Amino acid sequence: MSKFAYVAGISLASAVLGVFAANAQLLTHKDLSVATATTIAQTAIDTCKAQGYNVSAHVLGREGQVVVAIRNPAAGFATYENSMKKAYTARTTRAPSGKFAENVKGNPNAAQFFLTNFVAAQGALPIMVGNDVIGSIGISGAPGGDKDEACAKAGIDKVAAQLK
Amino acid sequence: MKKIAIISAAVLMGTLAGTASAQLIAHKDLSVTTAVTIAQTAVQTCKSQGYNVSAHVLGRSGEILVAMRGDDTGPHTMENSMKKAWTARAQRAPSVNFAKAVQQNPTAGAIHLTNMVPAQGGLPIMVGDDAIGAIGVSGAPGGDKDEACAKAGIDKVAADLK
Repeated sequence: MSKFAYVAGISLASAVLGVFAANAQLLTHKDLSVATATTIAQTAIDTCKAQGYNVSAHVLGREGQVVVAIRNPAAGFATYENSMKKAYTARTTRAPSGKFAENVKGNPNAAQFFLTNFVAAQGALPIMVGNDVIGSIGISGAPGGDKDEACAKAGIDKVAAQLK
Repeated sequence: MKKIAIISAAVLMGTLAGTASAQLIAHKDLSVTTAVTIAQTAVQTCKSQGYNVSAHVLGRSGEILVAMRGDDTGPHTMENSMKKAWTARAQRAPSVNFAKAVQQNPTAGAIHLTNMVPAQGGLPIMVGDDAIGAIGVSGAPGGDKDEACAKAGIDKVAADLK
């Protein structure tokens, strides 16, 4: 009897899960917290600073919205805009912005150039949870996109344990 | 004679150039480190009180130094925190002062300027009498609570503001 109750309980649980299955029509997302996003941005800026480069940083969320934007007054003033655009490019292409720069090399009329906020410049990386792109970070100000990207990577690496 | 004239001219120009340089303005401005600390302290202070808020720290010219979107905040809190900060910077006074002024005078000229908002939650960041920037906070249930978090942010770096 108690076994029957147990089985019935499981059936009930399954039925309840059935209700959840209906709710499963909504999307369940993991998103960056402001604390994690700030750590990513600040680590990237500090890393570049330790290497002698003043950079600005943007961390964007799932929809490309600004979660954290940091202008470094010691960096050129274009770096604020550029770090955002690099991050936007990485987020929407779900790949390092340097890859977009590679792809459009020799094709100055690539369609994406006509979209707002795309930039063909290295220095931004998508922020991934598994295969899901939950945001991105863009860096600008170092003498070379590869150096920007290295600092961006340091920012993501710092919170790697949280990205799951 | 010609040589003397040239030297005299050079000396004169040097003097003028030196004088002209002294006309430049010496400013203290927020560093990225200080600005991030102010914003983060404000967001964390409100969080510890149970309020999710967004924050903006603006510099001397109203430029954005730090923009921070709080967890689960309404999308308007980013815009509103920027505008509160802008208002505080522009008037070199807490944004609540403008809110009070507008209550008395709903057609105050400044209300028609971009980025001015009659809402509490923005404070100027001062070095003596010089407003070097501002912080704006939005998201708490009441501008007074936003302002308290903004103040916590500034207080955190008070020793650096000189």
